[in-house]
Amino acid sequence: MKRLALLLLLCACTDRVLAPGVCPGFCPGGTIGIKDTILTDVIQRDSAFRGYVQAWQAEAMPIADVPGVVDSRAIFLMGAIPPRVVAKSGDTTTVPIAVDSARLRVVVVRRDPSSVNLRLKLYRLPITIDSTSTFAQLASAFSAPVVDSVNVSALLARPPISDTATLRIWGDTIRTDSAGHTLQISRSDSSLIVYFGLDTTRARFVVADSGKVAYGVRVAADVRASAALGATDVFDRGPLIRWFYHYTVTATPDSVAHTSIQRGANFDSFVFDPPTPPLDNNLAVGGVPSARSLLRVAMPAFMHDSIDVVRATVVLVPVAPVQGAPGDSFSVIARPVLTDIGAKSPLSTTSTLFGRTTIHIGAADTVRIELSDLVRAWALDTSATTTFMLGQVPEAASYTEIRFYSSRTPAFRPALHVTYVKRFPFGSP
Amino acid sequence: MRMTVRRLGGWAVRITVISTAVLIIQPPNRLTAQDSQFGIRGLGTPGKWESVRARATGGAFAPFDALSPLLDASLADVRRMTAGVTGSTSWRSVSAGSTNASLRASRYPALVIAGPLSRRIVVGGGFATYLDRTFGIVTHDTINLRGVPQPITDEIRSDGAISDLRLALAARVQDRLAVGVGIHRITGSTRVVATRRFDDSTTYRNSTSRDEVAYGGNGGSASALLDLTSDVRVAGWVRSDGKLRADVRGRTVAEDDLPLGFGGGVRWRLGEQAAFAGALAWRKWAGAGPYSHDTFDWSLGAELGSPVSPLRVGVRRGQLAFGVGKTPTEFGVAVGLGKQFSGGRGRLDFGLERLQRKGDGLTERVWTFLLGLTVRP
Repeated sequence: MKRLALLLLLCACTDRVLAPGVCPGFCPGGTIGIKDTILTDVIQRDSAFRGYVQAWQAEAMPIADVPGVVDSRAIFLMGAIPPRVVAKSGDTTTVPIAVDSARLRVVVVRRDPSSVNLRLKLYRLPITIDSTSTFAQLASAFSAPVVDSVNVSALLARPPISDTATLRIWGDTIRTDSAGHTLQISRSDSSLIVYFGLDTTRARFVVADSGKVAYGVRVAADVRASAALGATDVFDRGPLIRWFYHYTVTATPDSVAHTSIQRGANFDSFVFDPPTPPLDNNLAVGGVPSARSLLRVAMPAFMHDSIDVVRATVVLVPVAPVQGAPGDSFSVIARPVLTDIGAKSPLSTTSTLFGRTTIHIGAADTVRIELSDLVRAWALDTSATTTFMLGQVPEAASYTEIRFYSSRTPAFRPALHVTYVKRFPFGSP
Repeated sequence: MRMTVRRLGGWAVRITVISTAVLIIQPPNRLTAQDSQFGIRGLGTPGKWESVRARATGGAFAPFDALSPLLDASLADVRRMTAGVTGSTSWRSVSAGSTNASLRASRYPALVIAGPLSRRIVVGGGFATYLDRTFGIVTHDTINLRGVPQPITDEIRSDGAISDLRLALAARVQDRLAVGVGIHRITGSTRVVATRRFDDSTTYRNSTSRDEVAYGGNGGSASALLDLTSDVRVAGWVRSDGKLRADVRGRTVAEDDLPLGFGGGVRWRLGEQAAFAGALAWRKWAGAGPYSHDTFDWSLGAELGSPVSPLRVGVRRGQLAFGVGKTPTEFGVAVGLGKQFSGGRGRLDFGLERLQRKGDGLTERVWTFLLGLTVRP
């Protein structure tokens, strides 16, 4: 019985039939054929729309000063603080506070490492700034004397202070200068956390305004004056101000209490010049307010049933090189839409189907976005909406905008470059 | 000992009954025989219509063996309900230039069931492998895509076979003459997969296409056995098959001629303890598409010792139906043992075969272990 079982097991061994092919003599007659073609007329009915994300909704505030190209400035309004405090717990009477100083924090979330003498210049702005404020309206405020200025490059060049007292207070090493500026490098993303130490002449506490202050930041550098400050839309990256003040404790007239209070920005945004031009016949992506372009793809029948797409690339021809600070770049993402209802088409959240590319300032090259997974999904599902939306990532966080020729410009219209494998001729010897 | 044999016999009967049921229910494409790289370029690798007993004699006893699906007339020797199944495991090494590969496959290449309708007429049937189409090949290449060389790996797999479903009738028209006829339904399918993989899997997606190819055809056979003396028997057979149609998704993609074949054999019994046989076969495969060749095979074999537990030896030489260039050849030697149990109600046959196939640019060497089980319930 054991012998029989052994024999049966022997006969039931796993097959191993795969061998190196000796072609063409000992290979099947057919071959896996591959073809590469550019479909120039499948992208149709493309349109651009603007107004998706405003500057004050952006994840960052770009600051740049490139003469003749762009001047971008960050603006923010800090929250109010109570001008009076309860001096004694349980008491109903309050006493006024007297501000001693303030410390303003901004986070540089993006900068050009090749910048030389990168400086952040702080300006006082009217507290009436809001989402309607324009570059022109705030020009006079930015022309006033600078409140404070910090040389970020010089701070970075200083040795870090790492004594135990500093580590206990700041939680990490810091770099300081003689003007009271402090710089920390974030451990999580290497962004630069810059603190301005402000006395009462530079951080004016106005009781009538409940301590609300507004500031603007410009950037300057010997080379490549471009950076971006964090905004409140991203956790712990927006501007912060800490007011240091004292008050008199009424029950004991001789005693003075010293304390501080911190406030974030109630509003932050940026203004820039020249403004984003209005939409035209082309496909705009980016800018402020952000623009997106909707591209509809008429999938040919043969892509549904007789081929297997192994690579698909959208080919877009820019109208002109993107203007901006040299060395900058931004991402353009292609996302499929779930239902094509024009400008408000809901976008898919399946990130594996997204296509992405990086646009470099000043480059005039043809832009190619890989959409292999998306086109393969369309080929398999004939009921899928074959439309995708081009947008900037993150949106409205940059004044930069790229424009591509649309299908209305036949010579440079968007195209789909597909590489596909033809169906194997099964059944033939 | 007797108890063991009885127990073994009981299990053997059970296994045979279950196997028979499974094999009849199961689609015949799994009843594949030994595959060969020579068949990839053609319709497949023609099966050997032989039981383990016949295979262990190089195929020489196939015309005289009722459980070998070669001749219908040999069924006339079946005096009671009989079923036989053949299983094999082969280890194959393939050499082509500097390329070598070791392959392994397990198969159930033949099943025969037969039983008498009357004293002179026996009906039988079963499956045998007509063409094996199980293979897998891998090739590496570099192609130019969008102006950039891209290394690729292609893999083409085929799993399945074309089987010969036979219904045969044999009659002993005289004491010394038996004749048989059979009708054949040639059917089967292969699951085929073609995959292209790109080394640059970030940019290019792998492509896989799958399909199932269904095959169909018909054929007929006739044969006769004549006892010249009480010790010498001669056999002759002819078989004609029509066209083999290949359908993919209900659409006919190929139609190829199947061969006309004929052959014969002679067996000489030297008492109860020894028998010798020789067989010849011609098949006109040359019309079966490109790279096909007519084949001629011969074999010689002997069965020695007691019929209860005989020793078998054999040698064969032949040609392969498909191959680029000159007709590939095959040479093989085989040895085997048989063992009856349960008073002749069951029999186990073992065989070991060594084959060498040679063609232009390719040599195959195959070891095959064969196991056959015959039951007369």
